Amino acid sequence: MGRAIVITSGKGGVGKTTVTANLGTALAQLGHSAVLVDADIGLRNLDVVMGLENRIVYHLVDAIRGKCSVQKALIKDRRMENLWMLPASQTDDKDSVSPEEMKSLIWELKHTHDFVLIDCPAGIEQGFKNAIAGADEAIVVATPEVSSIRDADRVVGLLAASDIPVRLIVNRISQALVKRGDMLSQSDVIEILALELLGTIPLDDQIVATTNKGIPAVLEGKSLAAKELLRIAKRISGLEVEDRVASGFFARIGRALGLSATPA
Amino acid sequence: MWNGIKEFLTGKSSREVAKGRLHLVLAHDRTGLDGARLHEMRQEIAAVIAKYVPIDADMVEIQIETRSRETQLTVSSPIQPRNA
Repeated sequence: MGRAIVITSGKGGVGKTTVTANLGTALAQLGHSAVLVDADIGLRNLDVVMGLENRIVYHLVDAIRGKCSVQKALIKDRRMENLWMLPASQTDDKDSVSPEEMKSLIWELKHTHDFVLIDCPAGIEQGFKNAIAGADEAIVVATPEVSSIRDADRVVGLLAASDIPVRLIVNRISQALVKRGDMLSQSDVIEILALELLGTIPLDDQIVATTNKGIPAVLEGKSLAAKELLRIAKRISGLEVEDRVASGFFARIGRALGLSATPA
Repeated sequence: MWNGIKEFLTGKSSREVAKGRLHLVLAHDRTGLDGARLHEMRQEIAAVIAKYVPIDADMVEIQIETRSRETQLTVSSPIQPRNA
């Protein structure tokens, strides 16, 4: 029986879909079978981030309505073994499915895949309720900004009320800005939200370029963000991953002198 | 070091300001109280205190703050001297 994990944030535009696409791809790289579910009915985007937009025949609402089987609605990724996507419908709205229907859909996918990653829409209304209905656990993505953290906190409260355990990904951290005192640090965000941290993804230009091409960054593998996403995927799958050690000249000197080199 | 110099010159860093604002905003969000309800509560608390000790009701302050997932509500009010 697989695990269903919802990726959520409250606020839009913090990187939920990109994180979902990359974690799913990375989990498949690690040898697990993963299916990515776009729960953003009416505003689907996981298909374009994955570069699978030209292959959609059926979608989530079709599967729920019985227009096709769930397995038939899945799109197999040709670049990766073990990777599938269930696209959202672009023409229906959030109210066209119920939490109960989502729950049984996710239940069915958990029988055939190790990981079911659910890309949650922004907001805390019907779309959110549908997306979390079948989830066993949740990942909250927050960027180090007041608005994003405020919304994340709201979502954490709602997830706790539904007894769904939550872990945190801090996205788009710039160590340079943190050092200048102009950005909340990883530890600031953890302190405020009081959540277990899965990982911190650095602000990385490469993500823009790979997203333009519809290629999950972990498939190209070179960028800092991609490396961190792979580490997060390992952690999700239960592998032990040591904390990232600060690299670079000054960090090495610091370590040599016995100073703490853990990123702030 | 730059951090230190900048904070010395300008007061708090924007990072510290953001943290402070978040602690306050989240505390209020977590109570689920809107401004009107909070105002009402402040007036009722002031009335209760005034029954026992002389106070200026306008000076009663309610502070809601949060650390980790704990939220603390503090009421503060200066007490007027007797026979004042």
